[in-house]
Amino acid sequence: MKLQRDVYIAGVGETVFGKHKMDYDELGRNAAFQAIKTSNIDSPGMIGSAYVGNAHNGIVTGQTIFKDLGVCGATPIINVESACSAGAMAVHLAIKDVAYGLTELSMGVGAENHTLRRKSGTAFMPAMNDIETVHGGVMTGKYAMRATRYMYETGATIEDLALITQKSRRHGKNNPHAPFGGDYTIEEIIDSRMIAYPLTLHQCCGIVDGAGAVVVCSKEMMKKLGIEKPVKVRGSVVTSGPYHNRPRDITGDDITEMTSEMLYEESGIGPKDVDILELHDAFTIAELLYYECMQLCGKGEGLKFLRDGQATYGGQCVVSPRGGMLSYGHPIGASGAAQIAANVKQLRGECNGYQVEPIPKVAMSHVTGGGLSGTEHAACTMHMITADW
Amino acid sequence: MAEKKKVKKEKEPDITFYHPDLLAVPENEPPYLKGYKCKKCGQLDFPKVAPCPNCWGEEFEMVPLSRKGILYSFSDLYIGQPGLETPYICGYIDLPENVRIFAMLKGEVNTFKCDEEVELTTGQIRMNADGLPITSYMFQKA
Ligand SMILES: [Zn+2]
Repeated sequence: MKLQRDVYIAGVGETVFGKHKMDYDELGRNAAFQAIKTSNIDSPGMIGSAYVGNAHNGIVTGQTIFKDLGVCGATPIINVESACSAGAMAVHLAIKDVAYGLTELSMGVGAENHTLRRKSGTAFMPAMNDIETVHGGVMTGKYAMRATRYMYETGATIEDLALITQKSRRHGKNNPHAPFGGDYTIEEIIDSRMIAYPLTLHQCCGIVDGAGAVVVCSKEMMKKLGIEKPVKVRGSVVTSGPYHNRPRDITGDDITEMTSEMLYEESGIGPKDVDILELHDAFTIAELLYYECMQLCGKGEGLKFLRDGQATYGGQCVVSPRGGMLSYGHPIGASGAAQIAANVKQLRGECNGYQVEPIPKVAMSHVTGGGLSGTEHAACTMHMITADW
Repeated sequence: MAEKKKVKKEKEPDITFYHPDLLAVPENEPPYLKGYKCKKCGQLDFPKVAPCPNCWGEEFEMVPLSRKGILYSFSDLYIGQPGLETPYICGYIDLPENVRIFAMLKGEVNTFKCDEEVELTTGQIRMNADGLPITSYMFQKA
């Protein structure tokens, strides 16, 4: 999407992730109200449109979240679903409204509660009308097959994969929003329960509840609100997964390669200029492959990039500074919006105890969505934002 | 007041059944998967996609696919779909017709390897909504 005019992020909100008694609507409302307050918005009428990402919590989720905030009425509230990409897609649509001058201020929210409703001990899967699902396909299996092939081709071991968990959870250790952050030994990670060979429990993101919210606005509105640290949206891309059922290289990811390429083009910011990155690390192997897909390093150099410390503090790009999905868990519809909220806080230097130093200027986020037979993922949404003060 | 007669509607049977378009199991002969070749552009697909995503052609010719292929990758699943017994094994099988098949693998966990040869077989993959077994294609070591 070519932005037709400048779009800024005024404020963001996120809840603590974890097992919540609060349902998705209360979580979403908390995150949204936090974003409203940090944006200095003083009346519901200022919100021109709102988009809400959710995957499993039913119908009219957006209106359910926003009615208590007094936003329902003339304001269009549109509900967005694309599995894990839904929250980021909601933010994308809010950006689109402002970029094209349809509104001066819009909101994107992602909210999800899994634990109140979901049967534990089973894996997420596409719908039963998908032929792979009928034959036992689940998302963990899809990623596990990538890991199997990657290990076969490169000689990487489970210990190597575990380095990703170790790094990301260390990043999330002092982040109060990240329930799984902490210090883990490689043994603890690889000795945890096997989920889908070679992925053990600690290599998989947890199933949790949570919400994130982002307020975007025009330059004029940003000045009117008196935002001191405006974050500029430099690029926002949504794509759908190319379909075919030919043999292909699953140690790559066609949709992530395509989307990041488009984002670099749109933003004019190259992979080597990205200071921090939140990516779709639902499973360890994904992060390793995505370094390469996003051209942070060359093809086949992901493991070296990790081992050389290029993905942590002091490296080329701090990957998952908030702790990633491996530390946050993954409330499907919420994650994409929460990633952007976390990135904004890093750019503003608001992450006491887990702040990246020097304070980053360029932040990228990436979240794929779902899996269908004949695709790697059904959707991909990426954002590039920069400090603008 | 007229008495309302309650007619209990018969439950429709679960029509989850994938065989006719996917798999043929001839008597006294090994099973085969059915590929579909677009009559307009020649693209071969499995499973059948209609219309042809390449040219929107609507006529197809059925082509039996090779029974043997190469196991591109696999995983032993210990947490699986609701209702499926674990562990079970899944894999991607690449056939010489330049088609990739996702299938359950018949065999023991911890025994499969990438790039080994596998062959088509059939087996029970799951139960349908009526609790009846669904038999479908699977692959095993060749
Ligand atoms: Zn065709």
